[in-house]
Amino acid sequence: MIGPERSDTVDFRHELEYGVTDKLQVSVYLADWFYENQPERSGFAYSDSAIELIYNLTNPVDDPIGFSIYGEIKAGDRLIELESKLIAQKNFGRLILAYNATLEAVWEGHSLQERGGEFQQAFGASYELSPRLSAGIELLHEFVFPEWRDDEKIRNLFVGPNVSYRRGNWFVTVTALAQATNTADEPDLQVRTIFGIGL
Amino acid sequence: MKLKHLSIFAAIVCTANLNSCQTISLAPPPRVTPELARAGGRQQVDLATLREGRSLFVSRCIECHTLPMASRFRESDWPCIVHEMGGRAKLKPAERDAVLAYILAVHSQSR
Repeated sequence: MIGPERSDTVDFRHELEYGVTDKLQVSVYLADWFYENQPERSGFAYSDSAIELIYNLTNPVDDPIGFSIYGEIKAGDRLIELESKLIAQKNFGRLILAYNATLEAVWEGHSLQERGGEFQQAFGASYELSPRLSAGIELLHEFVFPEWRDDEKIRNLFVGPNVSYRRGNWFVTVTALAQATNTADEPDLQVRTIFGIGL
Repeated sequence: MKLKHLSIFAAIVCTANLNSCQTISLAPPPRVTPELARAGGRQQVDLATLREGRSLFVSRCIECHTLPMASRFRESDWPCIVHEMGGRAKLKPAERDAVLAYILAVHSQSR
């Protein structure tokens, strides 16, 4: 939801993930699309397609910290985006702590001349209340670099709870993040829902 | 207002945790040692199988959930649990057997 006039955007991603080995996973996002409801226009539109690779370097149970590296290439209508991520996770019994450091580079617009970057760090804690239910908290800290410059000092902080429920071969995770800063161009509230089925 | 909502959520989580009666362990599952193999002696499994079982247990099972303590379920319940979960984790029959052997050895040792 973006001010000053309220508008809503819903992004949809459909991921097919395959475990190539115990350490390597590959995912394909066939078609990302979105629905937007703004004063001047509303409707559905295709956004992009993407491919990602995740490689697990160490184990979050046995090693002091479990590290994974993540790479994603996204391409769409006048859009190319590269995203790299370092994922750190530690499992303490039923408690899971995770930290993600993400660097994004975007080229978009006519002739892909508009460019920008973003550094994000996310921290999450989740506790398994029962075999089916987990709950926790998530913090997302963003550094936005329009045209790869930091002149505007755009910093965003989001914080909120997450809940995950799993049963059989499916799960659903809902995270609600409220903006704790006061950046006008960023959503006041973002709700992320992940529904997964094991095939 | 946002912080107030967060505080309420944190209180609910803490209350739910205090209401939990299950044993909580923050330590990783026991390493495979000759003592552990002897504890699971009834199964007649070697150290290599137990090591493979533990390796699969700490890598494949955490893809979907945290690792349960062996004592969380009865010994007679584990074969059924591992069979069902092993199917979801795409474990081969020999791999399921190795995971089960490791869990039962830990279960025997913890008694």
